[in-house]
Amino acid sequence: MDVLNVEYMIGLVPVLLRYLPLTLQLAGIGMVLALILACLFAVIRVLRIPVLNQLTIVFISFFRGTPLLVQLFLFYYGLPQLVSALTVIDGVTATIMGLTMHFSAYMAESIRAAIVGVDRSQTEAALSIGMTNGQMMRRIVLPQATRVALPTLMNYFIDMIKATSLAFTLGVTELMGATQKEAAGSFLYFEAFIVAAIMYWIVVELLSKLQNHLEIRLNKAYSR
Amino acid sequence: MKTLLINTLLMISLLASAPLLAQDDPLRVGMSGQYFPFTFVEQDELKGFDVDVMNAIGEEMGRDIKYETANFSGLFGMLESGRIDTVANQITITEERQKAYVFSDPYVYDGAQVVTKKGNTEVEGVEDLKGKTVAVNLGSNFEALLRELPYADQINIKTYESNLERDTALGRVDAFVMDRVSASQIIKEKPLPLELAGPTFSQITNAYPFRDTEAGRALRDEVNKALAALRDDGTLASISEKWFGTNITEP
Repeated sequence: MDVLNVEYMIGLVPVLLRYLPLTLQLAGIGMVLALILACLFAVIRVLRIPVLNQLTIVFISFFRGTPLLVQLFLFYYGLPQLVSALTVIDGVTATIMGLTMHFSAYMAESIRAAIVGVDRSQTEAALSIGMTNGQMMRRIVLPQATRVALPTLMNYFIDMIKATSLAFTLGVTELMGATQKEAAGSFLYFEAFIVAAIMYWIVVELLSKLQNHLEIRLNKAYSR
Repeated sequence: MKTLLINTLLMISLLASAPLLAQDDPLRVGMSGQYFPFTFVEQDELKGFDVDVMNAIGEEMGRDIKYETANFSGLFGMLESGRIDTVANQITITEERQKAYVFSDPYVYDGAQVVTKKGNTEVEGVEDLKGKTVAVNLGSNFEALLRELPYADQINIKTYESNLERDTALGRVDAFVMDRVSASQIIKEKPLPLELAGPTFSQITNAYPFRDTEAGRALRDEVNKALAALRDDGTLASISEKWFGTNITEP
């Protein structure tokens, strides 16, 4: 048992690869929804829209202040206890809901920081040449804020991909769930989990490459 | 996004038609897929004693079986929230569980077993667990069995989601407690240096739990009928022989 069972590892690759798309789907959908929600929250916070602002503060506080696993359990096992019809929330939906709300809370703050960070002279200049508030946001503030927010948002996306490994607790067999079951059947834990680890690593590495690429593009206007 | 949309639509349509859900749906059975040799996965295929028995029950009842796998600690939540109809994961009948669920007739008779790392001479039975660290699966009945021992307060119980066999073999805990049948099986088939320590210390009977509702009780009766038929025609015994070389479905 001390020798690494390479044959088993190679055999496991195609099996685990079947579950990688679900992992990416959970994180991909979660990221898109979280971004939308986070932008909304950030704008509400920056413009201090009454009532919505206070609600957003409570939302962010709750979803940043409690563990993701607790939130997933609340959505999946807790809600149906209160309203039995909510049983139709399946594991995949509950996971996406959890990821979306959890990460939108974090992302809202970093987007807000990026917006606030755009120099005041920029907004004043935009308004002085007659742009409306909307035009100013769209043409002047958001492009600059995007550049600042990109690295942290990418960080959250990477974190989210890895957070999908909690989904098996809700019965969603994604990459981690499939690995756990295979490992329990073979008792070759090291082999199984190292294969899974390498898969996560490769995905994240590819994303980092994409991030570099995007950063270069967004920095074009600033390079001399 | 598409799944989410579909789910939202499904949710709406289900809310409207919930009472119409008929019996022809497959029987939804939860299991961990991580309890060798009862339920485990090899090359993406769900296998084990519990899978075989459940398939036979489904055939007898004329209903398809749909397996849902999740970590053990999530299974009762899924049963409670109506996402599965029963759990096929060697669920032991206990007083506490009987308060919340109705159980089928037992289909496995077994005992609790102490298992140690090979060559451990300090622990040779349940009475040696005083002052030791003992691993049990989270949510399993073995923790309760240990707590019933007169010297329970001197045992350091550690609960695991999975992989407790591994930690015992590594020496992180002194022993683990599991049912005798699967413990023997693990020792026989898996490359871990483990051994049984002493005889079993408590009789356990395993069965299928159902929600304590009219529908749950009706389903339980149906499953009992199928189980009795499988017992009479020798199917249960032959599935047991196949996996364990002995009949664990009789007391």
